[in-house]
Amino acid sequence: MPQIITEQNLRNLIDLLVKESKVVVGPKQADSVVLYQPLAAGSELTLDSLPRRSAKELFFPICENILSYQRLDGKMQVTDVDRSRFPETVLIGAPPCDAASPAILDAVFSWDYNDEFYLERRRKSTIVGIACTQGDDACFCTAVGLAPDTDTGSDLFLTPLKDGSYACKAVTEKGKALVDAHARLFGEAASADAAPFAEQGTEKLDLVKIKKWLEGHFEDPLWEKISDICVGCGSCAFICPACHCFDINDEGSTEQGSRRKHWDACGFSKFTNHASGHNPRDVQNKRYRNRIMHKFKYYDDKFGRTLCTGCGRCVRACPVGIDIAEILSTINAKQD
Amino acid sequence: MNAKANKNQSSCIEPSYYQAVTQAIRTQAVQVLKDGTVAGVVGYLPGRRKGTARPALITTPEEAEKLIFSPACVNNLSVYLTKSKKGVLKQGRIGIVAKGCDMRALAGLMGESQIKREDLFIIAVDCAGVYGSRAERSESVTEANIARKCHECTVHHPEGADFVAGAATELSGLTPLEAEEMARIEALPQAERWAFWKEHFSRCIRCMACRQVCPFCYCEQCLCDKNRPQAVENSPRPAGNTAWHIVRAMHLAGRCGGCAECERVCPMDIPLNLLNRRMAKELKELYDYEAGLAPAEKGPLNQYKEDDDQSFIK
Repeated sequence: MPQIITEQNLRNLIDLLVKESKVVVGPKQADSVVLYQPLAAGSELTLDSLPRRSAKELFFPICENILSYQRLDGKMQVTDVDRSRFPETVLIGAPPCDAASPAILDAVFSWDYNDEFYLERRRKSTIVGIACTQGDDACFCTAVGLAPDTDTGSDLFLTPLKDGSYACKAVTEKGKALVDAHARLFGEAASADAAPFAEQGTEKLDLVKIKKWLEGHFEDPLWEKISDICVGCGSCAFICPACHCFDINDEGSTEQGSRRKHWDACGFSKFTNHASGHNPRDVQNKRYRNRIMHKFKYYDDKFGRTLCTGCGRCVRACPVGIDIAEILSTINAKQD
Repeated sequence: MNAKANKNQSSCIEPSYYQAVTQAIRTQAVQVLKDGTVAGVVGYLPGRRKGTARPALITTPEEAEKLIFSPACVNNLSVYLTKSKKGVLKQGRIGIVAKGCDMRALAGLMGESQIKREDLFIIAVDCAGVYGSRAERSESVTEANIARKCHECTVHHPEGADFVAGAATELSGLTPLEAEEMARIEALPQAERWAFWKEHFSRCIRCMACRQVCPFCYCEQCLCDKNRPQAVENSPRPAGNTAWHIVRAMHLAGRCGGCAECERVCPMDIPLNLLNRRMAKELKELYDYEAGLAPAEKGPLNQYKEDDDQSFIK
């Protein structure tokens, strides 16, 4: 019989971790939205809806200082961020479409340059994923190779059981260590009857075929057709668990200020705008093409992975109803 | 383009009403495309997911047969007309499906010389209301699921269009949620009011969806994108977020037609229309002016009159 943890003990585990001075982050209600936020107590954990923003912000914050500067006695002093002070963090309650994303992003943040801001946070984090029992008609994780019970990216993976408790699987050494350190909260399962997983409305996609079509159709009337209604906001990219473009801005005065790294989006008209004024992606359909190409071709070319977990957030949030699952189906159905 | 007396009032709008509107839009759109009155029609098509709809730019009678109007047709399509956004007008005279609230934006854009009346063929909808953000998309429209803005709609029955689809049906006795919320916030002590907005703005991720769907955010160079010199911090932090939303509210004062698209599209549920409503209230009190009620009018903040109130100059 596998190990289990009751819902109450899961909340107790959060209380204990908080007492151990760890930062525990999980889905929490904030006004009308649920967001991944630091939990002060286990009672704050909300497991009945997908957070509006993905869990990527734990490793890749919306905005962070990467250095600060100040003129002292006529000389400019530059101060680095002390990354050793990033806290040990446990992420609890991430569904597979969120838990899988850091494992996808590791490749790009440790490729030609090691992004120590991202990597240090990754080293200091443990991810407790949870199987998904409540998808909706925007979900398409099964179409992009994941599933409501995929443990990819999780260190410890919980599967909701019919009796309200959770079956536990230690996926990595980090996950095992978390269980071992709090062994008395975990028990033996009386039965391992899993609650029904979330159902999805989309067919499975042939990602190899889609990539092949993309390779031959950098220029194609499809791009204009699907993006003629795109209004060029960053909503889809910002709430996406896999989009990771960022901008760097110096903000402050000539005397003092900060250099900040913050999310950027290929939907913006200033994205890739050169200092000369030239923009290789000068119209919206070229920018939308980049969104699809990056997710389903370029990232795969470079790192062998698809840059999409099928969480459906962009489908739900797009102000003008652009539906990436529908676009992928359209490409999937193409003969040439 | 203002309200007339209510005709049929009920507690629930049946799907058959939207089907009748759909049929009228299709017939009209097909006709104006066939006879060459317009080069295209901006309307709504059904989305993949059941009960959803999305904007579409239609250029053939065959496509026009698929146009719909349903409670999911929330978008203000006038955003597609200005040059800095999509500029579909360059294709020739354009048909556009517009609810009463959308027509206020059209009127405002004409007043600001961004579009010309003769370039448009307006297919107005006599609109009973659209879904709010948490509506189940299979239900009839009721007070429980209708959009917040529709609770206080005064433009159900649009005037000044080339064609009107549907005839006068609306829900009766809706609670004015936004007005109540505005009154509640105004009654708060200043510190609590500040805390309210601080909390909301702290969630802003600067995705700019509010700006991008706004028919009146048509500046080709937004102040908030400038970095030499930087006027508003670009990075999503509380100070810059607050500055951005206040700059935007000020810039929309006397112009915003109240379509509330900014609030609808905000992925962080920031109640942005409250800011716009507050500005509209100022304009009403100071100049007895409501934006977008008549086409080609100049707003009070766009002109100078010798008898303008100058008491604020001290």
